[in-house]
Amino acid sequence: TPRHATPSIPSRNLPARKPGNVLEEARARLHVSSVPESLPCREQEFQDIYNFVESKIMDGTGGCMYISGVPGTGKTATVQEVIRSLQQAAEQEEIPPFRFIDINGMKMTDPHQAYVQILQKLCDQKATADHAAALLEKRFSTPAPKKETTVLLVDELDLLWTRKQNVMYNLFDWPTRRHARLVVLTIANTMDLPERIMINRVASRLGLTRMSFQPYTFKQLQQIITSRLNRLKAFEEDALQLVSRKVAALSGDARRCLDICRRATEICEHSGPKSAVGLVGMSHVMEALDEMFSSSYITAIRCASLQEQLFLRAVIAEFRRLGLEEATFQQVFLQHQALCRVEGLQPVSVSESLAVCQRLGACRLLLLEPSRLDLLLRVRLNLSQDDVLYALKAD
Amino acid sequence: MSKRKSGEKHVAVGEYVSQVQRVLRERFCHQRLPDKPVGLESQYKHLLELLRRTAVHGESNSVLIVGPRGSGKTMLLRCALRELLELQEVKKNVLQVHLSGLLQTDDRIALREITRQLQLENVVGDKVFGSFAENLVFLLDALKKGDKSSSRPVFFILEEFDLFAHHKNQTLLYNLLDVSQSAQAPVAVVGLTCRLDVLELLEKRVKSRFSHRQIHLLSSLTFHQYRDAFRSELTLRDDFPDRKFSQEWNLGISKLCEDKSVDEILQKHYNSCKDFRSLHSLLLLAVSRISVSNSTLRALDLLEASRMSSADSKGNILHGLSVLELCLIIAMKHLNDIYEGEPFNFQMIHNEFKKFLQRKSHSVHNFEKPVVFKAFEHLLQLELIRPVDGGACKAQREYQLVRLMLDHTQVMEALQRYPQCPTDVKQWAVSAFG
Repeated sequence: TPRHATPSIPSRNLPARKPGNVLEEARARLHVSSVPESLPCREQEFQDIYNFVESKIMDGTGGCMYISGVPGTGKTATVQEVIRSLQQAAEQEEIPPFRFIDINGMKMTDPHQAYVQILQKLCDQKATADHAAALLEKRFSTPAPKKETTVLLVDELDLLWTRKQNVMYNLFDWPTRRHARLVVLTIANTMDLPERIMINRVASRLGLTRMSFQPYTFKQLQQIITSRLNRLKAFEEDALQLVSRKVAALSGDARRCLDICRRATEICEHSGPKSAVGLVGMSHVMEALDEMFSSSYITAIRCASLQEQLFLRAVIAEFRRLGLEEATFQQVFLQHQALCRVEGLQPVSVSESLAVCQRLGACRLLLLEPSRLDLLLRVRLNLSQDDVLYALKAD
Repeated sequence: MSKRKSGEKHVAVGEYVSQVQRVLRERFCHQRLPDKPVGLESQYKHLLELLRRTAVHGESNSVLIVGPRGSGKTMLLRCALRELLELQEVKKNVLQVHLSGLLQTDDRIALREITRQLQLENVVGDKVFGSFAENLVFLLDALKKGDKSSSRPVFFILEEFDLFAHHKNQTLLYNLLDVSQSAQAPVAVVGLTCRLDVLELLEKRVKSRFSHRQIHLLSSLTFHQYRDAFRSELTLRDDFPDRKFSQEWNLGISKLCEDKSVDEILQKHYNSCKDFRSLHSLLLLAVSRISVSNSTLRALDLLEASRMSSADSKGNILHGLSVLELCLIIAMKHLNDIYEGEPFNFQMIHNEFKKFLQRKSHSVHNFEKPVVFKAFEHLLQLELIRPVDGGACKAQREYQLVRLMLDHTQVMEALQRYPQCPTDVKQWAVSAFG
């Protein structure tokens, strides 16, 4: 067995191509992965976290902090940036040196693996979960001379929940030890996570140092894109505003905003002639927005075959007759057959009608019970009746 | 002399026929890739461009290909990969990982498969070492060490993407999409699914990391295009060994396309299902009817194939029942009429059947009760009737409530077609309320 395998992806034979024109350059800068040096619009949060961690490092004490916010509001990026600037400060010997470790609840298979990963990163030692817990316990509770502060970032905290909550308990209990010198920064999505899922003794150890990241407003989103583009002229002003307003109205997720801008550059590149690539305008952005936000149910119904559309009409007719939002396949089948006669088509057999029903169920226009119930399986619509009628009528 | 010559000709025709069948079979059931995807040009261009940028520029991307079953999702992807791999600079660089939600039913298996296909260093031969947790850490470390410009891009292709969303915590999806959104090894995550609501299955944080790029394969194929597709699917290409035979064959096909009855059949299939997979299954049935004595495709073959593919399965089962079983089904139909779909048990059916015997029957023999019960059980086994509570019942079998799983029209149609059905049974079926 390979003992000391080094994890790596083989390197490429030819180097990757550099971006060729303005739009490609813009696309590279707008990619979510190219995090800028300093995050715009998060100065206040940055300062708060910085002060918190810095004071703990200076005092040589420990503490916990809970950071919450919906996805894509810059939580992890801000914390990473705080750590980067603290490390710079430590290099210039303004503050004592410290160690930084990060774990992510989603990147482990089981909550207890947190111990293993912390131990691995702290002292490059492999152990089973139980053993690692014991080693860490010992390390944080015994005094040692010249011990440096450890900053531990726990991302996706809610995944570390276990029935007895011992992982969370330990994570928040270690900083309270006298000799631990541990600062724990925890990140999760929901604001009321401590109250909701933690038992009292865990929640009380987490303390009240909390911070929540608000969703970005449209001005902030606009500023983020502008700062990323950094005076690169690729977008019209109005187009940027439209994107940021749309995204801010829906979720305030910066990732979404960047993705839409990136898609808009692609659309722009392919719309015009090859030689003259212009600015990304309103129409391109509109198209990108449509692509990403519009629901495809309506198009799916319009593109469905005649029998599938008839079946949907039969479902609605049956719902109207019953006054319910649910019908058995047998009832719908009778309507379907009647509709076929009205339309002057050959009446369908049960097998054919069931096949049509199954096809609609597979792409989730209908919600179905398992098909072994046959005639008795219950049919429901996955979208509103008005949407179906609109889709069927428009042509 | 002449006899020998005709014999030779016979052999040659036989060989061509088998060759035609081989060529067409490859097209219909081996999912041979077409030269260009039909009717999906813009989607194809989008996907190709996306994959090309990952391969050439090292840009990470994620995309979902969504479309109903049989709409050509895999075909589109394979075509794009085929064209992409013809580029020299891509061919040597790209690593591909193919996963399917039906095979990789949990993250543990999926992770092993990824490690194996990437040939990471904890793989010896075909075996992956280390526990699940170690594998995950190893893979993530490997991807983390890579960077945009120097490491080889990886295509992760996830078929049946919606099944991956049912894994515990969606760990695998989170990690793959997270890599695609951070400065690590360049990856392209391509998911294929038939569910339109696939994004609603994703957890919030997984959804946020997905780029929301969806390629919809909802083709609005017109009937003309459908007919053209029918023609081109059957036409032999120039690389067929015998020119004369293939010309004759193609001539026959274009004649076939002008036939009114063929048009009707195609229209019926087009109405029920637009995708090429159902067309292929129809054509396969038709093509398998050609032989040496009948070396061209006739409209009759197509008609027969269409009849076969649209036959009602339950009607066919009814066709093979005995007269006693048929009588029971009629009794049940009457019970359904009288009690408006309420469930019934064997005793009630037997009663109904006895009434029929006493009043009208001259042809049906008076069977003993156990014989009737046996017939009843046979119907249960065929699932023409179903117990109401799923069979887990404490009551005696005679008193177990059941439902008839047939529609009226099916019963009546089966009676019409039943060979030598006694007249009084037919009359009993037609008469209202027994």
